[in-house]
Amino acid sequence: MEAVKNAAAAQPIIQTRNVKKTYRVGSVDIQALRGVDLSIMPGEMVSIIGPSGSGKSTLLNVLAGLEHVTSGEIVIAGKRLDKMNQSELIVFRQKHVGFIFQSFNLMPYYTAVENVAFPLSFRGMPRKRREALAVEALKVMGLGKHLKHKPSQMSGGQQQRVGIARALVTNPDIVFADEPTGNLDSNTSDDVMRTICEVMRSRNKTLVMVTHDPNMAMYADKIIKILDGRVVDIQLNEHPTYLTPRPKRAIGDELEEQSEQAENKKDNKQGDTQR
Amino acid sequence: MKFPDMLRTAFLNLWRRKLRAFLTVLGMVIGTSSIVVMVSLGVGMRQSMIESYASMGSLTNITVNNYRYVETADGGGTFKDVKLDNKAVDKIRKLPGVEGAMPQITAWGMAMSGKYATDVSIMGIDMEQAELFGIKLEDGEYPGNKLAGGKVQMLLPYDFYNNFYDPNANRWSPAIDKDGNPKITSRSRLKLTFDYSNVYTNQPGDPGQQKGKIYTLVPTGRLAQGGNDFSWYCIMDIKVLEKLAKENPNRISLNKKNYNQVIVKCKEIDDVLTIKAQIEEMGFGASCIQEWLKQSEEQLKQTQYLLGAIGGVSLLVAAIGIMNTMMMSIYERTKEIGIIKVLGCRMSNIAGMFLTEAAYIGFFGGVLGLGLSYGLSLVLNNFLESSGFKSIIPLYLAVGALAFSVVVALISGLYPAMRAMKLSPLAAIRNE
Ligand SMILES: Nc1ncnc2c1ncn2[C@@H]1O[C@H](COP(=O)(O)OP(=O)(O)OP(=O)(O)O)[C@@H](O)[C@H]1O
Ligand SMILES: [Mg+2]
Repeated sequence: MEAVKNAAAAQPIIQTRNVKKTYRVGSVDIQALRGVDLSIMPGEMVSIIGPSGSGKSTLLNVLAGLEHVTSGEIVIAGKRLDKMNQSELIVFRQKHVGFIFQSFNLMPYYTAVENVAFPLSFRGMPRKRREALAVEALKVMGLGKHLKHKPSQMSGGQQQRVGIARALVTNPDIVFADEPTGNLDSNTSDDVMRTICEVMRSRNKTLVMVTHDPNMAMYADKIIKILDGRVVDIQLNEHPTYLTPRPKRAIGDELEEQSEQAENKKDNKQGDTQR
Repeated sequence: MKFPDMLRTAFLNLWRRKLRAFLTVLGMVIGTSSIVVMVSLGVGMRQSMIESYASMGSLTNITVNNYRYVETADGGGTFKDVKLDNKAVDKIRKLPGVEGAMPQITAWGMAMSGKYATDVSIMGIDMEQAELFGIKLEDGEYPGNKLAGGKVQMLLPYDFYNNFYDPNANRWSPAIDKDGNPKITSRSRLKLTFDYSNVYTNQPGDPGQQKGKIYTLVPTGRLAQGGNDFSWYCIMDIKVLEKLAKENPNRISLNKKNYNQVIVKCKEIDDVLTIKAQIEEMGFGASCIQEWLKQSEEQLKQTQYLLGAIGGVSLLVAAIGIMNTMMMSIYERTKEIGIIKVLGCRMSNIAGMFLTEAAYIGFFGGVLGLGLSYGLSLVLNNFLESSGFKSIIPLYLAVGALAFSVVVALISGLYPAMRAMKLSPLAAIRNE
């Protein structure tokens, strides 16, 4: 078992070769990606950073199989993504991919539990089981008290935690996140980012996230800089932010956080032993 | 995605936009009920038509004649005699689906009472088969098979007493008193003869012949008015008629080797036309009310199609309404559809979800539409009672209409569902 795992670990889970993406708007060609070569290992947490319009989102969408490339090869989990059609891509996403959105994209008329259980319903899981899994995932996110809340009854940070739970509940190999903290204030951003990274690390999942905020990028192990549709720099981050202790903030916050953290820890343990 | 999940999700999607869903369903209600009510009127017309034919005689009877129509080389036609004897009757009786075959012997005579008389058509039948052939009595009982003391027992036509007249008056003088009531009634004494010179004093009769006997007519009952092939006949037992024929050799001609007519009774109404064809194949001429019914049904069909089409127009409008609603909701839900695609909802499930929504609209519209139709049908029947129109909703129409409205809804949901399938998952990411 261990040997197999190690052998798998030696292979990159995401590999791209000379990926190009050209949008045609009217008679003008916009080259969003001009030949991207990447290789990401299983369990790695990667952030993609770059100025606006540099092609970060395009790259992420292409990697998540939401969009076809114009040319080049993408191999994810041993499969050629660039050769797949829409339905095959959907099946691929079902098996391998979780997605965290900038604007949360929760179903407004569903409760937290129903939202998290939703992707499991597409996999044909019976309702009781998927709601049990959803409750578990929400508790891991520290939302044990908000199970029956609708998105409109939750704060942005809480909504994004629901989004994270939804991305993780299907137990995907890779989670993609496009500006997951883009709609949150900086304190909440740190909280959410910490949660994401801790959970991802504890489950040994691969995370690819896009951000234009250098602070957020520092949460990852590896930082890929993109400029004008090309990878211009790849940095290893020796000290990912989520490993450093939390900075002290206002007293009220701290109290609340402590209680939340305690809950998180407890639930984390539960989740881990069950998996 | 499991089917119950699909049903639930689709229902919730409709429920989220209650008013719009309700209005779309309302369109379907009107569409369904207009088609059902229109068709029910057609069904009612057919029913009344069948009833009116049935009152002309039994729908399961075939009349077989001892002649048939043949086309000649010059394009015209002529009647050709065929032999309709006991052997032929036996053969017909043995055809599958035939319940009985009754040779008809007919004779013509006159009934007299005082100075009044009336012509009568007499039919001799096998009394045991009388009930089988639907010879129903208004009152009284079936006649016996004895001819004793010059007394002839027979059944009289329903309106027998209305037809007496004075045969020897100079002008037409019916036996009716000044109040318009018949002078001859069931209390009058009746006589029967086959010799017209017994009735018409100015007819000397054939000098070379004996004068015909005068019998006492003993009515045993009256035939029922409708639903009867024989209601205008006087009916007696075939044996009595045979004896009478023997006693009036030149005035009644019975030929047991060749019957004029044989009435064939079929077991099932649906077999009548096949049996008729078989009898014709044997070389006899045959006719039945079913034939006429069939022709009228063909004509009625056109009216029914027209009615159905009128109703169909509003169903078509409702179907376009469904399509419109679905398209609207797809435009509104572009982002949502993108999200569920990113979350791994399969194409077939997306299409399934939209089709299920459409099917719900069709189903609820159909059910409520049927309810409305039954109500309207009730009201119409109250209003139309006098005009002869009728609205009938048979079970097959109800079930068919429900299935039809679901199918129509599914068809109108098809294009929106395809559009939804084609939407890009990127819609989830774009921020409007
Ligand atoms: N659907 C599209 N059609 C046409 N051009 C597009 C489309 N999507 C992206 N582009 C173009 O591709 C380039 C890269 O866009 P992309 O969204 O990847 O930028 P980004 O790095 O995510 O920027 P931001 O930080 O502002 O989100 C831009 O020039 C953009 O205008
Ligand atoms: Mg972007």
